[in-house]
Amino acid sequence: MLLETHREAIETIVGRYASPRSAVLPLLYLAQDVYGHLSNAAIREVADILALPETAVFEVVGFYTLFYSRPVGTWMLQVCDDVPCCYLGAEELITALKDSLQIKEEETSADGMFTLQRVKCLAACDRAPVLQANLDYVYDVTPDKVEALLKDLQSRAADARRRGVSGRFAEDFAVTEQGAVELVARDAPYQSRQFEVQGPPPPPEPLPPPEVESGQDRAETRRGSPL
Amino acid sequence: MGLSDYIIMRELNFPDINRFERYCQVGGWEAYRTAVKEQTPATIVQMVKEAGLRGRGGAGFPTGIKWSFLPKDVFPRYLLCNCDESEPGTFNNHQIIDRNPHQLIEGVALSAYAIECHTAYIYMRGEFAAAALTLEQAIDEAYRAGLLGKNILGTGYDLDIYVHRGAGAYICGEETALMESLEGKIGQPRLKPPFPAVAGLYGKPTIINNVETLANVPRIVEKGVAWYRSHGTEKSPGTKCFSLSGHVNRPGNYELPFGVPLRELIESPEYGGGMKGSRPIKIIIPGGASAPWLTAKHLDVPLDYEGVAAAGSMLGSGAVIVLNDTVKAPHVAYKMDEFFKHESCGKCTPCREGTHWLVKVLHRLAEEGHAEPDDIPTLHGIYRQMAGNCFCLLGESAVMPIKSALELFPEEFEAIIKASNERHQRNGAHAIPLRVS
Repeated sequence: MLLETHREAIETIVGRYASPRSAVLPLLYLAQDVYGHLSNAAIREVADILALPETAVFEVVGFYTLFYSRPVGTWMLQVCDDVPCCYLGAEELITALKDSLQIKEEETSADGMFTLQRVKCLAACDRAPVLQANLDYVYDVTPDKVEALLKDLQSRAADARRRGVSGRFAEDFAVTEQGAVELVARDAPYQSRQFEVQGPPPPPEPLPPPEVESGQDRAETRRGSPL
Repeated sequence: MGLSDYIIMRELNFPDINRFERYCQVGGWEAYRTAVKEQTPATIVQMVKEAGLRGRGGAGFPTGIKWSFLPKDVFPRYLLCNCDESEPGTFNNHQIIDRNPHQLIEGVALSAYAIECHTAYIYMRGEFAAAALTLEQAIDEAYRAGLLGKNILGTGYDLDIYVHRGAGAYICGEETALMESLEGKIGQPRLKPPFPAVAGLYGKPTIINNVETLANVPRIVEKGVAWYRSHGTEKSPGTKCFSLSGHVNRPGNYELPFGVPLRELIESPEYGGGMKGSRPIKIIIPGGASAPWLTAKHLDVPLDYEGVAAAGSMLGSGAVIVLNDTVKAPHVAYKMDEFFKHESCGKCTPCREGTHWLVKVLHRLAEEGHAEPDDIPTLHGIYRQMAGNCFCLLGESAVMPIKSALELFPEEFEAIIKASNERHQRNGAHAIPLRVS
């Protein structure tokens, strides 16, 4: 039960809002990552925790596309098929994925590893075609990179299970020219050519370190939260 | 016309600007420290008003004016930062956060101080799982430095900032739907008035600003109104982070002063670098999926709110999608309206039914090539029943792609109808397929 395993996290989340009902989305994410998908029992559990009518939580699960009320694969592959992706290779990418996985959209591969979905704009139109694997971005993924991508994801199945299908601990990945998948370190700023400008400015004088006053305790509790 | 000093993408090439200490080394958080210690909230509001900062989320409404709609002495108030960026073609919020989360957090904190609120939420679309984590880590750093929390810098001012993830619904970018979603409900818009500034989140006065808007605030406060107004145009001061995508050589985010001609963004080797394979431009969508289309003859239109409006479109979110002559206008309209159909929340009939029927007809016509002789009047009829009748702007936006396509490229619809009639001799294949989806 979530209240037994994640009580501290749940209390932290609920404490952020003036009304406990606001915690529905974060708690559903938590339940989904713990149970793999949102079964009826899981949805009722969230309703119980927040003392809400069941229907209030069921309708939320039905409305938002990132809540899965049926079992899904270890990796949720969500490919953008919107403009402009669809004119830059998204359809070819979806075909390649379907052929390789022997499934159609909204289906899960026989080994339970991958579920394929078409989704609407993922807000990375400059790196089209683009997909998300458990909400990790994979940019510039042309059909010839599909095999390498699937192989890499397969080898990281344990990682995917640990982080959950809602991508709470997502990192960025990029496919290299050779088709290998590379982890883009979180510390690196978004690597793209458009942010380059000529001639670096002289580094400014470092300022004294910021004074630490209150807020210390607060930060400690926040760090312990799972979201 | 490059910029010597960026506002939204400040310190572009300062390495590791996304780290708290590094951001502080280039003057980050100074505007906020000074404001909280020495300036009154009203001073900040006045500065933002005088700077002429306009909302970057699409409507271009003056931010300072919006803030001044808050009723006096009604507390608590809330500040919501809208990061539900989901419209085809828009992709700058995500990159602003990835590149420099602290600037946004400072902007949120400064704005919260200005409107005298003690709780701010950053509502992010659910797909931005990584960016949410980046922001949470950056917010933690600000808490540790005593810049957020209780009794900030010994001034007695309290502020908490929380990241709240949506779960995959474009409609939640509509401000009242965003508040519904934040209250734990399905994201359906509310009737206005009352406007959020009067009765918003939990019925309390609430201000909702876009990520890019709030990222401007630290620089306005730090460098002053005159400096800010030296960028851009008289009516659209400052810079805009244009998201360029489609069939261009160098798609990406480019921060440019308002007023730069469309041609420069698309063709300059510094920015778009021209069209892929030098193919001709067919369709330019200058402000995200909901903007009426422009064509190659509009290349000299200046990219500011007034200039794009004068050309018959809107600057919207500054998402410029450029498509070449390989695309078919009816198909682009189909894909765009499929987006709106998918994202329609189902609250009002014109949008829920209208988007479905548009997509049904357009799918048959553009995707399968089965057209009825009267498809053009049918399409006109559907969007006319939507225009002006929808509950919120989503439905109104869905009208734009099909209206633009019919206006600009009627011959493409006629050609499909002609070919279809010759091929099928009305054997029923062009009936709207009843599909379960």
